[in-house]
Amino acid sequence: MGPELELRVTSDWTEMGRVNQAVSDFLAGCGLPTEDVDKYTMVVCELVENGIKYGHFNQEKDAVSVRVWIAGRTISVLVTNPVGNYSRTYLSELDRTIQWVRGFQAPFEAYIARMKAISREPLETDKSGLGLVRITYEGRAMLDFYLDENDTLSVSAISNLE
Amino acid sequence: MGKVQTFTNNQLTIDIAEEERTITVHFLGKSILRDPNDFVMPILLRTLGEAIPARKRIVMNFRDLSYMNSSTLTPVIKILERARVGEGQITVEYRKSLKWQDISFSALVIFQTPDGRIVIEGTD
Repeated sequence: MGPELELRVTSDWTEMGRVNQAVSDFLAGCGLPTEDVDKYTMVVCELVENGIKYGHFNQEKDAVSVRVWIAGRTISVLVTNPVGNYSRTYLSELDRTIQWVRGFQAPFEAYIARMKAISREPLETDKSGLGLVRITYEGRAMLDFYLDENDTLSVSAISNLE
Repeated sequence: MGKVQTFTNNQLTIDIAEEERTITVHFLGKSILRDPNDFVMPILLRTLGEAIPARKRIVMNFRDLSYMNSSTLTPVIKILERARVGEGQITVEYRKSLKWQDISFSALVIFQTPDGRIVIEGTD
């Protein structure tokens, strides 16, 4: 069993600073080069941001759970959070985006296509949809998700260390 | 050096320095904002609105940014496009030796214009 990090993150956005630092420190402590630390910190933070934005938190115990582990030359990230009716649109978008990215020969092409689409959107539109595409392009990660019978969403990102 | 205006939100600081021919928008720290559209966009829009009539070039300097979430890139993309189809002049400066900056910002080259109004520039 390789090194592993587990975090519990409340739905308070100010938690993102702590997550960013904790993941960065963990990856640096694993001896990863700076560029990998930056890359996978981004992967984790983008997924946690989505968890906080689109999760459903109505009880004290509800939180975003983060697990990062390295096994051999593979780094895995699993972000889990409760979802509710409010999250349905996001779940559809998540599914559609993952399928859409897989339709490109290279993640870079998807990233460029998404940037072009954003550039044509009205200035006041604040939703970018760029985070998931960035994870596959910049993080070179395979994305997947699973929704269980208790309405708990698990999003995974798996990447090979170069 | 002209007057510097400083805007801070969470771990992100944006310094705006106006000079004779340029307005520099200097990003420092980490951008982990939930809604960069509420903080970054008004700053960039106002800067673009001032730069165009004064025929000044905006220099967006990201070299001292240590982390940026994807939401922060959205206002940057929209301002670049607005300048591209209009009369704005923008140079995006990033640190090429930082891998994440090179990957994120070099892709903005799609907004570069042949007449040099929009320039994406990675340097060490």
